[in-house]
Parts: sequence; C-alpha cells; structure tokens
Amino acid sequence: MMSHEQASELLGAYALDAVDGEELNELERHLDECPRCRAELDSLREVAGALGTGVETVPEGLWSSIAGRLPERAHDETPPPMPRLVRSGRTPADAASRRRHSRVAVATLGAVAVALVAVAAVLGVGLINANNRADNLQQAASGRSSTVSAALQTPGHRVVSLRDGKHMLAVQFVVVPDGRGYLLASHLPALASGKTYQLWGIVASQPISLGLLGPDPAEATFTMAGARRPTSLALTAEPAGGTSTPTGPILATGAV
Amino acid sequence: MQQIDEVSDAQLVISIARFSEVALAEAYRRHGGAVYGLAKRVLNNPTEAEDVTQEVFLRLWNQPDRFDAARGSLRSYLLAQAHARAVDAVRSSASRRVRESREAMRTAEAGYDMQHEVWDLAVAEQVAGAMGGLPEEERRAIELAYFDGHTYREVAQLLGQPEGTVKSRIRNGMRRMRAALADKGVRGVDA
Repeated sequence: MMSHEQASELLGAYALDAVDGEELNELERHLDECPRCRAELDSLREVAGALGTGVETVPEGLWSSIAGRLPERAHDETPPPMPRLVRSGRTPADAASRRRHSRVAVATLGAVAVALVAVAAVLGVGLINANNRADNLQQAASGRSSTVSAALQTPGHRVVSLRDGKHMLAVQFVVVPDGRGYLLASHLPALASGKTYQLWGIVASQPISLGLLGPDPAEATFTMAGARRPTSLALTAEPAGGTSTPTGPILATGAV
Repeated sequence: MQQIDEVSDAQLVISIARFSEVALAEAYRRHGGAVYGLAKRVLNNPTEAEDVTQEVFLRLWNQPDRFDAARGSLRSYLLAQAHARAVDAVRSSASRRVRESREAMRTAEAGYDMQHEVWDLAVAEQVAGAMGGLPEEERRAIELAYFDGHTYREVAQLLGQPEGTVKSRIRNGMRRMRAALADKGVRGVDA
C-alpha cells in the first residue's frame, strides 16, 4: 500500500506518463481514493498541457481520415469536408429563387425600354448586377433574420466593426451581453471556391477560432462566452475547412 | 478562472456527445495542431503522429464523457491522451535502440533547445521562459520524460542519478513551472 507522501512525490512524473510497472498500479489505486492527490494531478496535467503546446501544421487529409472513421456516419464513400460552423443563411433554393427574381426584373425593365433594345442588351449584365445588389440591400434592410433583429433590441448590445488595412468597414457584428454575436452586415468580397472567411477572437494576444463564415458571408452566429472575452476580433481567409491557427493575412480587425 | 475557449470547449464536448460532427471538427480545428505536434515530437515520426491524432479525436467522439470540464481544459485532456499514446508507442517501438543512442548524444550536449519554431505563440514563449528559469537538472529530467517518453527510472539511468532524486526533481520542477505559468496568467494553470 502506497502512502500519501509516496504517491504525492510521484505525481509530477505521473503527469508526464513517466511512471510504470507495479508502482503505476499502486499510484492509481491511491488516486482513486485520494481527492487531494487527484486535484494536484489535475493541476500538474495543465502544466504538462502547457508544456506540450506546440502547434504544427496538421497534415492535409488528416481530418478527412478522422471524419471517414466516425462510426455514426452513413456509408458514403467520401468523408465530408470540414463542416462549416455557421449557417450561410442562403440555401441553394434561395439563391435559385433570387436568380429567377433577377431575370424577371431584367425582363420587365427590358420591356419598358423596348425602343432601346440594343442598349438594353448591352446594359443587361449591369442590370443583373444592380438587381443582385438591390437584393442584397433589401436582405440587409428587411430580410434580416429575426435573431439579428432581436439582438439589436437586446439591452446592452454592442456593434463591433471590423475594418481593413485602409480603415474601410469590412464587416459588422452585433454582440449581446451573454456573448453571442451575429453578423449584421458584410462588405466582404466573395472568395473563390475552396476558401472561407474565418473569424478569430484575440484573447491574451492569442487567436482563438470563433468559427467559419463561409466564402460569401450572409448570416453567421458565434459565441464568445466565458470570463475572459476577446479584446478584439480578426478576420482571415483560409482554406475551405478552416484552420486551427490563422495562416492567411489579417483582412480586418476591430476592438470588442 | 473560466476562460473563453474552456467554456466553449465544454459546450463543444456536449455537442460532440450528441454526435455533432461540426463540433468535433471545431475541436480538431482548435486542438488538432497541438495534438499532432506533441505526438510528432515524442514519436519523431509523422505517420505515427497522424495515427495518434486520429485515435485521440475518435476517442473524443466515442467517449466524450471521459472529458470532465471540472478537472481541466480540453486542450490538456487531449494532449494527455496524445502523450500517453505516443509514449506507449515509443516504449514498444523496435526503433527504441536507435532513439536511445540519438538521445544519449543529445543528453551529452545538454544544450537548451526547445525547438521554439513550432511553439504556439505567446504560450510557447511563456513556457520556454518558465522552463529556462528552472534549475538545469530539473529541466533535463522533465524534458527527457515528457518529450522523449522515458520513465523517471530511465531518466535516472540516462543522467546517472538516483531514482529518488530524479523523482523529486521532476515534481519540484513541475511545481515551479506551475507557479511561473500561473504568474504569467497562462490559461488553465492555477498556482
């Protein structure tokens, strides 16, 4: 039977997985019965965790291997890409209906400008773009989801603005006192496929991923709960699955 | 003190328990690099490090209840899992003898080489600073045990010191690290 003193002496080595054999069994029996040693071990494990905090670029495909081995998944062959954390808010059906809407609008305008057919044909592309833009504006003004509207009416809410290197407004979030944040407006250009915007909270000068916004952010939610809130938010463009630490340049930042 | 990533990590694990792949993916995004990095450092083999990383996250998926947020951070939990697996692999590895001769050379040099380049930003600096502040013999003992996967008895042999001495040095060194890191406010570490 191992005494408390003997066990306590071993805890440093144990937290480093450096105890073996019969001594290990005896120590673990003692740990089962001794809350003091367990508490000491927990705190030494945190030290070991800090010691082991080196970040290496994870090999490409490692996540796919993990996702492919999840037993609850259906038996489709290709593992999913790293899923997005937030809903984009635009389903393919939405997008299709908006495109149809644009075409109808263009056709109507085209009919009015029947005498200017040639000109209209030239302007066609511009009109479609303008209609899309109008769609986006309308969505921002009235199509705003009820959660965002609710957030804007929550007492104590703050609007956090992220600006780019030229101090131009890039994206705005509304953050409510419980730490939930919602995308309010985005002036971000759509990224190429295979890329995503990723939002980071800066806590004690360390970036912590708050989630992926997708390649063309329209609607997004994140949480920054806890006693130590981020002092600022930062935005990068990353490969579609996102990354554990920022790899791209910081596109925009803003103080919380 | 509760901090942002710990709190949301705990929420993540709850979602993982409800079979949310999205939550597992986010846990991987946050900690995959550290888990892989530590495994690779101990194993000195990228392929084996990938295997360990897979096992660690699959276990989180299959047994999320093993993580107890009240006992520590998810990062430390995952790293402890990765470390234990990596050490098991090292100890049963046929290449052990090769490793040992290489380590004997490193031990002979006894230089301070923490491979800063792979360390995680601010924490790395603080940890390296705290390690640098340890008495030489405590630091060597911790490094040989943690990064090279030796038991404290093996460390005693490598350093030619009594087992009891090495055991105490590791414990004292770890406590000193804890105080230093808590001073610097490294997350999760309380004095």
